[in-house]
Amino acid sequence: MISAYLESLAGALSFDRSLSRCVRHEVEDHLWEAVAADPTSDRLEAERRAIANFGDPHVIAAQFAVVSLAKQTRRVGAAVVLVVAGVFIVMKARIEWYAATQWAISDDLKAVGAIVGSIDRYSFWLSVIIGIGAAAYISGRRIPQAFHPAYRAQLGRFFLLCAAATAALVVSVISDGVLTALRLFGTELCVGFLVPIFSMAIEIACAGVLVFQIRSLTQRATSTAALLKT
Amino acid sequence: MLKGHLDMIVLAALAAGPAHGYAVIEEIRRKSRQAFDLPEGTIYPALHRLEQAGLLASRWVTAESGRRRRVYALTRRGERALVGHRAVWQQFSGAIGALLAGTPPARKPA
Repeated sequence: MISAYLESLAGALSFDRSLSRCVRHEVEDHLWEAVAADPTSDRLEAERRAIANFGDPHVIAAQFAVVSLAKQTRRVGAAVVLVVAGVFIVMKARIEWYAATQWAISDDLKAVGAIVGSIDRYSFWLSVIIGIGAAAYISGRRIPQAFHPAYRAQLGRFFLLCAAATAALVVSVISDGVLTALRLFGTELCVGFLVPIFSMAIEIACAGVLVFQIRSLTQRATSTAALLKT
Repeated sequence: MLKGHLDMIVLAALAAGPAHGYAVIEEIRRKSRQAFDLPEGTIYPALHRLEQAGLLASRWVTAESGRRRRVYALTRRGERALVGHRAVWQQFSGAIGALLAGTPPARKPA
């Protein structure tokens, strides 16, 4: 009976596998302890009572869903800052490498390079400011007991900040790609090409990770809301 | 009403020392003289939430039964939060007590 209950609870918590495993162990220990403490000699009756006292697995899963969503939200807040920092390091490393190898944009493309460079700078620093703002906003909030309207509004604001920071970062990465292409344009193919191409691949991967994290967060928020409705 | 004070209740139950979920529930029942008989399952999301907030820390141990058991303990921040909750509660209950002391008992409807 307890195994079936644990399966049901683990199934209801399937939105977060590590949480599901952890809660299963915790609840299993709880239920067997409750059975051991039950005064009745009828084991099946003791198991039934322990399960009844513990509560509906779907109600418990819904409460855990809010905690799990809050955890994921904070993780995304940290991810925004880390990804922006990662892109900054890669960008700076590439610029240093250009300086060391004296690899400049050809004179006839310098005007275009200056415009794209400005877009790159402004969009990047915009992503830094909004990203730090998003992380600070969510880390300063209390973890809610329930998925109440105030928390939904908080999540909405956090999502908008993250989306704005990511959009600005994507613009910056695209600008970096254009600048890299301008530098490589008209240059003979050599092994040195690999450095800017590899650094661009890292930047694109960083931006991709952020987009994926935000998408997962919105999916989790939607599934949590659906779980609380049932 | 209990739900609004769940954090304070859980923190107070852990004030005596580290305990696992079942022991926390037993402590709440014992300390409240059986007045608080919470649905047992609701304690676990609260324990996880308080841990995430940095008020509790947990570690896995192996119980005598051989089962894995998660034991929770108050952190420094949790101790400070409990002191804060206690002060607010004492102020609140003192104010309500003073308010009710001068209130005549309600008349029964005819």
